[in-house]
Amino acid sequence: MAELSNGDIKALGRAVNLNIQEPELTQVAYSLNAILEGMDQIDIPGLNSVEPLPIILPEGSVA
Amino acid sequence: MNQADIPFLAVTELAGLIEREEITPVDVVEAYLKRIDDVNPKLNAFITVLKEQALEEAASATSEIANGGYLGPLHGIPIGIKDQIHTRGIRTTDASKLREHFVPDADATVVANLKKTGAIVLGKLNMTEFAMGDPITSAFGVTHNPWEIGRNPGTSSTGSGAATAACLCATSLGEDTGGSVRGPAANCGLAGIRPSWGRVSRFGVDGASWSFDTIGPISRTVEDCAITLQAIAGYDSNDPYTWNVPVPDYRRALTGDVRGMRVGIVKELMDPEVCGVSNDVRDSVLGAAKILEGLGAIVSEVSLPLTTISGVVMRTLTSTERVSLNPDWLRDRPEDFHHNTRVAFMTGSLIPSQTYYKAQKARALVRRQVLEAFKEFDVLLQPTNPSPPGIMDLTQGVKSKEQAANALKESNFRGLYSLTGNPALSVCCGFTDGDQPLPLALQIAGRPFDESTVLNVAYAYEQAASITGTHGHPPF
Repeated sequence: MAELSNGDIKALGRAVNLNIQEPELTQVAYSLNAILEGMDQIDIPGLNSVEPLPIILPEGSVA
Repeated sequence: MNQADIPFLAVTELAGLIEREEITPVDVVEAYLKRIDDVNPKLNAFITVLKEQALEEAASATSEIANGGYLGPLHGIPIGIKDQIHTRGIRTTDASKLREHFVPDADATVVANLKKTGAIVLGKLNMTEFAMGDPITSAFGVTHNPWEIGRNPGTSSTGSGAATAACLCATSLGEDTGGSVRGPAANCGLAGIRPSWGRVSRFGVDGASWSFDTIGPISRTVEDCAITLQAIAGYDSNDPYTWNVPVPDYRRALTGDVRGMRVGIVKELMDPEVCGVSNDVRDSVLGAAKILEGLGAIVSEVSLPLTTISGVVMRTLTSTERVSLNPDWLRDRPEDFHHNTRVAFMTGSLIPSQTYYKAQKARALVRRQVLEAFKEFDVLLQPTNPSPPGIMDLTQGVKSKEQAANALKESNFRGLYSLTGNPALSVCCGFTDGDQPLPLALQIAGRPFDESTVLNVAYAYEQAASITGTHGHPPF
């Protein structure tokens, strides 16, 4: 996947009403790109058909 | 007994002396306050010390016990509380300038429950700002590791780890989102348990990430940990996510008998190539497994391939949830955050919804894989951290994308059970070689709501390995 540039980060910030300037700008880019790259690499068969559940544990799992 | 020796006793030892009226809660609190005066300036583990209040409560406890009203093993015992947990009439700061004047008008349920057992709140403990994973962000200054000044005491319950290890309180409470009870316990050579999500009320606790936050004890021994957990565990109608399931007698569960117990060692977290575990940590965990095997446990390896994504999945979720709690603070008062917290919160604000959604799906699969493993095993073993406590980098900022990616990888170790909600305990399993030994830690996870088994395995190991006591206390 393409990395987000500092300009991209600035624009995304504006979209959520955050004015992100240096020195935060470059550091947010490092952090966000690391997360997005890590998540992009997740390719588990059947992932798309999984229902995303909150933390509530299944009844049967209680000891 | 010499008053200076009192703070070095375990809760179980103190409780015996108090019950037999060989010492009084006033003796105990005075001894701890003296030690805080002497040592806390070097460690900065407390944000607020409740000297007068603690002495008043100690006087009441002394009187109650003298009149035959002994309540149990926490009566008259001084405890430290992470400054994320509300205490009535006492400021609760989250270690942030944004909350420096916040004074709650009610106790958190966990604090109220501790008070019912007769425990004495000695003070509010330092932490990282808003329970972030960075050790240098507290608005009240950095907390140091008592095993070596300048080393990371473990985040985010930094003060809970440092104060308990340095004997500035008898036991403590931390809060674990992505590992914030287990990390300080590991780095400071202590026992700390993240209970099952839903076992302990979070009412009156400032949130970090709603679907992860769990309150847990950090103590010097496993038995002290069990005693502290007993006081705070249980259903609370004020917290809709607590489960109304029976709370066992945790101390009674500490039989030390692990014969026939099926113990799985998580393969991926023991592989230096996969998750970056250091040799000394790996060897100490294998040594612990050998001891358990010697006690009659059946030990074998188990593969959990999704362990390797648990760090990034957890950070995606927690980063998003953290910001969603108080989004206006970042817009209205960005300058009042520590620089590193500001960067982390800004990052969390920009995570796309589809990435968050993908992380929730992946979380379901990780949980499914872990629960499947517990059909075959009673507990799972792995390191708490990939390496011994590191030197804190006091310079602010994220230096590179690689640094950020490494932090995600390191989160695999504790993030796994934060994602799944299983109980997980960290216990000291040795020390590094050299003149300045640093603690190493073993993580034991169990089935949901089966803290008893987790505690018992840790207890069996602790007793057999004689880690506690043999290595003594930090050099203070």
